[in-house]
Amino acid sequence: MSHTPFIVGSYLIALVLLGWCALAPVLQSNKLKRFILSRQLFTEEKDASDS
Amino acid sequence: MNRFMLFIHKTGSPPWFYNFSGKLLPWTWGVFLVLLVAGLYLGLVKAPPDYLQGESARIMYIHVPSAYMSMMIYALMAVMGVIGLVWHVRMAEIMMISSAPIGAIFTAIALATGSLWGRPTWGTYWVWDARLTSELVLLFLYLGVIGLYAAYDEPRKAARAAALLALVGVVNLPIIHYSVTWWNTLHQPPSLTSEGSAIHPSMLVPLLIMVVAWKFFYISNLLVRTRLRLIEQDQRKRWVHHILSGADR
Repeated sequence: MSHTPFIVGSYLIALVLLGWCALAPVLQSNKLKRFILSRQLFTEEKDASDS
Repeated sequence: MNRFMLFIHKTGSPPWFYNFSGKLLPWTWGVFLVLLVAGLYLGLVKAPPDYLQGESARIMYIHVPSAYMSMMIYALMAVMGVIGLVWHVRMAEIMMISSAPIGAIFTAIALATGSLWGRPTWGTYWVWDARLTSELVLLFLYLGVIGLYAAYDEPRKAARAAALLALVGVVNLPIIHYSVTWWNTLHQPPSLTSEGSAIHPSMLVPLLIMVVAWKFFYISNLLVRTRLRLIEQDQRKRWVHHILSGADR
């Protein structure tokens, strides 16, 4: 029995799961930062137009 | 107040932690990458195949560190849970819940790679033996902590409930660790004990490098996730607006 598929499969699973684990919070963080900044900009513009 | 206590007190401040962790992150990711490349090179290229298991033993370089991290992170979660429950330290609560997905990922990797290692070694992907079953229970505990936290709207209440579950689940850690000695299992007994190692240095060195690399992955990922939760929870606070609109991101 060739062991190569099992070794390659193991390392691929680890690569995909760790890659997702590392990238997911970065993407989520960027999205949240953009949302906070756009809300802040909207509030500032609204305050300026009200006054 | 000595320097260490001052550092601990500062860590409790979200803006200070956010800025400090931002400076620390490039270094921790850098060390992780260097160790990962060194560990993989030594483990996959330089280390010899096992005399009995052949090439499939190379799965060890990701399976063993992942299994080790799955237990270590759970123990750390329980410690942070106690700090959160007893002293109501918010940073400990956030770090506890930020650790849960990382621990779950390492547990899933340990189970999947163990299963792929089991097929050529034992002739089967899965057996319901004590080590494999208790590790699967650990994955369910991680998922339970994540699910319980998500079920609450108020983060402090959610963290307390999740901390209690994390504490109850600690009983599973000695079961996982000693399962191979308490019961007759298909899984091999530990090769690394306090009395020494049964592994040849040519295989032990890459294994230990990968263990340290996984630790740096955990530290880096924990910092990223903690920073995310901080800005998520404090998004209406002045310090978040100041940091996001300022130069010190």
